[in-house]
Amino acid sequence: MKDDISVDTNQEMMLDANSVSGLLWDIFGAEMTAEPTKCAHCGNQAEIGTLLAYNQGPGVVLRCSTCGKVVLRIVQTPDAVYLDARGAVYLRFRW
Amino acid sequence: MRQSVEWQIAALKAVKAETRRVKTFTLTLPNWVRHQPGQHYDIRLTAPDGYQAQRSYSIASEPEREGEIDLTVERIEEGEVSTYLHDVLVPGDCLEVRGPIGGYFVWDGSMSGPLMLVAGGSGVVPLAAMIRHRAATGMKVPTRLLYSSRTREDILYGEELKQLASAKDGLVVFHTLTRNQESSWTGFNRRIDLAMLAEVVKPLGEAVQVFICGPTLLVESAANDLVVLGIKPAQIRTERFGPTGLVAGV
Amino acid sequence: MAEKFVSRGFVGKRQPADKDGRIPPGQYIREDFPVLSAGPTPRVQLDHWTFTIEGLVQEKVDWNWVEFLKLPAQSFIVDISCVTKWTKLDMNWEGVSLDTLLDYVKLDPKAQFVTAYSYEGYTTNLPIADIVNGQAFIAYKYAGKPLAPEHGGPARLVVPHLYFWKSAKWVAGLRFMEKDEAGFWESAGYHNRGDPWKEERYSNTF
Repeated sequence: MKDDISVDTNQEMMLDANSVSGLLWDIFGAEMTAEPTKCAHCGNQAEIGTLLAYNQGPGVVLRCSTCGKVVLRIVQTPDAVYLDARGAVYLRFRW
Repeated sequence: MRQSVEWQIAALKAVKAETRRVKTFTLTLPNWVRHQPGQHYDIRLTAPDGYQAQRSYSIASEPEREGEIDLTVERIEEGEVSTYLHDVLVPGDCLEVRGPIGGYFVWDGSMSGPLMLVAGGSGVVPLAAMIRHRAATGMKVPTRLLYSSRTREDILYGEELKQLASAKDGLVVFHTLTRNQESSWTGFNRRIDLAMLAEVVKPLGEAVQVFICGPTLLVESAANDLVVLGIKPAQIRTERFGPTGLVAGV
Repeated sequence: MAEKFVSRGFVGKRQPADKDGRIPPGQYIREDFPVLSAGPTPRVQLDHWTFTIEGLVQEKVDWNWVEFLKLPAQSFIVDISCVTKWTKLDMNWEGVSLDTLLDYVKLDPKAQFVTAYSYEGYTTNLPIADIVNGQAFIAYKYAGKPLAPEHGGPARLVVPHLYFWKSAKWVAGLRFMEKDEAGFWESAGYHNRGDPWKEERYSNTF
C-alpha cells in the first residue's frame, strides 16, 4: 500500500452499499443490503451489501465488486427518486 | 418481515468524551427497536430555513440495553453534523434519527464459527457493539479484535476492552499503533499488514467469520491480505468509512 | 401534516451567497477542489491515450498524447459550478480550445449534437452551440500542474458555463450526432442542458 502522494482520493471515498441502506429502505421499503442480487454484466451473485458505493457525485452508483460495472444507479431530486437497475438481473426483498 | 424505519425524535441523555476528538452520545428513543450489532442510525439535522444535513453513525451499544442507543462520533473539522453534535448539542436536546439500518454488516451470534474483527480508527464502533453483545449474552465464541489506532490516546473503549479480555472467555484484543512515540508500548507498532493478520487470525481456523471496518484503504488492504491467507471472500464482510473515518462520508 | 422538526442551533456550513454576482443561484463557494466520481479512477497510460473526433464528420480524426500537446494551447481562468452545489471561482486550467480541435474536422450538416465519452464509460451530451466559440476546451493542466487522475487527468473536457457534470473527466473523444442522446446523468434524473444560472439541475423531460 503506497504512502500518501499518489493516494487516490476517489478510491479512498469509495464505500460499501451498506452506506446507502437508508436510501434503499426509502425506495424498497425493506432492508436490502443482506438481499442477494446478480450482476447483469458478469453474473456475480452476492449480497447488495458487497456492492461498491460511489456516492459523492450527483447520484449514487453501486458497482459490482467483481467486475466493477454499474449494477444500480440512484438519483435523488427534490421530489423524486430515479432508479436505474439495468445492471442487476434481479432485485428482491422479502415480505 | 416488513418493519418500517421511520424518523423519530430522540432525546440526548448523556455525552461522554472518549478521546480528544471522539464523544459517545446516549440517546433515548421513543420507538426503540432492538438492533443487531453492526447496524447504524441515520441522523438528520434541519436548519430553520429548511436546509438539511444527514449522516449515518454506527451503533456502539449492545441491543441488550433497551430504550436507548450509544452513538460514538468523531469530530471532523469540516463536518457539518459531527461539529454540531460535538459543539452545540447538550443533554436534553432533541435529534431526529432513523433506524436501525443495515442487514449485511451485522453479527448477532447466530452465525456459527469464530469471529475476527479488524478495526481502523473509529471503525471499531460497530465491532464494539458486537463485542458488547457477546459479553452481555455470555457467549463464548472465540473472538479476536485487531484494532489499529494512531496513538494510545486515540484508542476508544480501551479500559473496557482490557477488562472484557481479562475475563479470558475467548475474547482476545490486539492493538496496533501507527504513530506511536512511546517506548513503553507493548502492542504492535505499524499499519496492519499481512504478517500481522496472519499471526492474529491463524489460531481462529478456517471457518472464521471476518468483519473489517475503518478507512477505505485500510479495509481494502486487510480484506485482500485475508484472502491471500486463504479466507474466502464470502467469509469477509466490510464496512468502509471513506477517508475520514465516518460512515457515509463527511 | 406534522410541523417539521428543527434542530436547535443548526445552520450548516454554507457560505453566504453572492460574490459580486458570480455565484449562480443555490450554490455556495468552496476553496478546495472536491473529488466526486461515479466510479474508480481509470488509469490511462499516456502512450495509449488518444483523443478522437468522430460520428457525423467527413473524416474521423484522432491525436495521440504527443500530437495533442503540440496543438496550440491556452490558459483558461473560469468559474466552475457543480450540481452538488459547490462553486469554485477562478480555476486556472490549461488546454486546447474545442474551436481549435474542430478546425481539423468538417462537420456533416446533419450534426446537431455531440456526446463526449470517457475512458470508463461515462457520457454526457451537449448541443453543438454549447461547445463552440470559446465555450469549451480539453484541459490537461490545472493550477499549473498536470491534471491529476482523480480530477480527470490526463485530460478532461471543461464546459464552464454548464454544470460540471458536463465537463467529462478522462475524456476519450467527441461523437457528433444528429439526434440528442441523454448521457450518464441526463438519463437518470438530471437536466438535459444544465445551465447553473437557470438552476437547471433536474430533468425537464421525464
